[in-house]
Amino acid sequence: MSETKQVMVKVKRQAGPKEAARWEEFSLKWRPSMNVIICLRDIAENPVTRDGKKTTPISYDSNCLEEICGSCAMLINGRARMACSALVDQLEQPIRIEPMSKFPLVRDLIVDRQFMFESLKRVKAWIPIDGTYHLGEGPRVSPEIQEKGYPLSNCITCGNCLEVCPQVNEHNQFVGAAIISQVRLFNMHPTGAMNKSERLSALMGPGGIQECANAQNCVHVCPKGIPLTESIAEVNRDAWKQALLGWLVG
Amino acid sequence: MSATATQPDSSYLLRKLHSFTGLLPVGAFLAEHFWSNSAALVSAEKYNATSEELQTIPFRLIVEWGGIFLPLLFHGGYGIYIWLRGKSNVSAYPWVGNWLYLAQRYTGIIAFAYIGWHLYTERWLTHGKSTYANVAEDMQNPWYLVFFIVGVLASSFHLGVGTWNFLCKWGLAATVKAQQAAGRFGAFVGVAFSVVGILIILSFRFDWHPFSAYLPTK
Repeated sequence: MSETKQVMVKVKRQAGPKEAARWEEFSLKWRPSMNVIICLRDIAENPVTRDGKKTTPISYDSNCLEEICGSCAMLINGRARMACSALVDQLEQPIRIEPMSKFPLVRDLIVDRQFMFESLKRVKAWIPIDGTYHLGEGPRVSPEIQEKGYPLSNCITCGNCLEVCPQVNEHNQFVGAAIISQVRLFNMHPTGAMNKSERLSALMGPGGIQECANAQNCVHVCPKGIPLTESIAEVNRDAWKQALLGWLVG
Repeated sequence: MSATATQPDSSYLLRKLHSFTGLLPVGAFLAEHFWSNSAALVSAEKYNATSEELQTIPFRLIVEWGGIFLPLLFHGGYGIYIWLRGKSNVSAYPWVGNWLYLAQRYTGIIAFAYIGWHLYTERWLTHGKSTYANVAEDMQNPWYLVFFIVGVLASSFHLGVGTWNFLCKWGLAATVKAQQAAGRFGAFVGVAFSVVGILIILSFRFDWHPFSAYLPTK
């Protein structure tokens, strides 16, 4: 073996949504604290495959490099995770890097997560505070709700929870755990609660909360440690109360 | 995909109905069925008396169809539809919950097939007048015996996991701790039903009546 440690990387490449996919192998120089994004950068710097063939830099999304922007989610050794926090020293080699499979592919490792943003719009995942006049101060948020809400507000819309969910697939338009958890967040806020029933109604439409089948994979892969299964259970309770008891007790 | 919808979608209501019928009446009927059949653990006469009591309940056809057959058909049929719309991924993500998700589908279809056969042999062919002797005779056939055991285990497992799913999915066990407790409760349900079901099968197979001492001595 040579004196410099090498890192073996296999990347699934695809020039466009309709092009054929292929694998390319790279041998990179090891560096301390190396993560998968650094591997992709090193390849961009010198886009030559392991067998010496010149290729193009790999397209990928990334931004913050500290697990806070949500853009670099991909499949690493077959599992959905953030590439920035995937440390090379902790990964089995060759490291297999693929785009997420549940979102439309754009190019190489870039996927289009518009579905999640549309879902957030569908459930009104915000608190309306704008008016044509000054609305005044809102109600105070109790420390208890602040404490419950803060972890939920950490969601970075990375899409890992959708990627690992057996109920998210081409037959099923399930919105996924992240969106349900956001509904919980905005419904628990005293101002947000004014739109609670609208959010719940949106979640009881096609692809809504009913599609969850309790496999609970989502909570294992959330990079922010959001209690997603708890969120789903809480929102489920509010939803059926509204749907099944609403006409009885209001 | 309408954001303005104010009424729950039919898929929501059907899904909730599917979840609910699994416990009530289907799960509840399984409990009743095991309870009644446990009479065999006392004696053949006790079983026949219990069976006759059930065969002569008023409004029998309505109770059977409305309380057992139709809910079961719906739960099984819609369950298959749910299965077809999911895509299991245990090889990539081999966590317990994910395995249970997969096992819930397979045990469901096994239980559904078993129950169909069970109804045919013990309800249809006997014109609803099955006796201890009928069942004991069927149990002598090794294939019947194996299918009985597989069916009982699949149904019990499915009810146990279903109980856990129900408690989570209706938000009755919401926190992580509560869901763990619900999981233990579901496991207890599955094991308890399995044990009782197997004991009943053994009773018929070996003419074994461990509770015969309860009978008054003559």
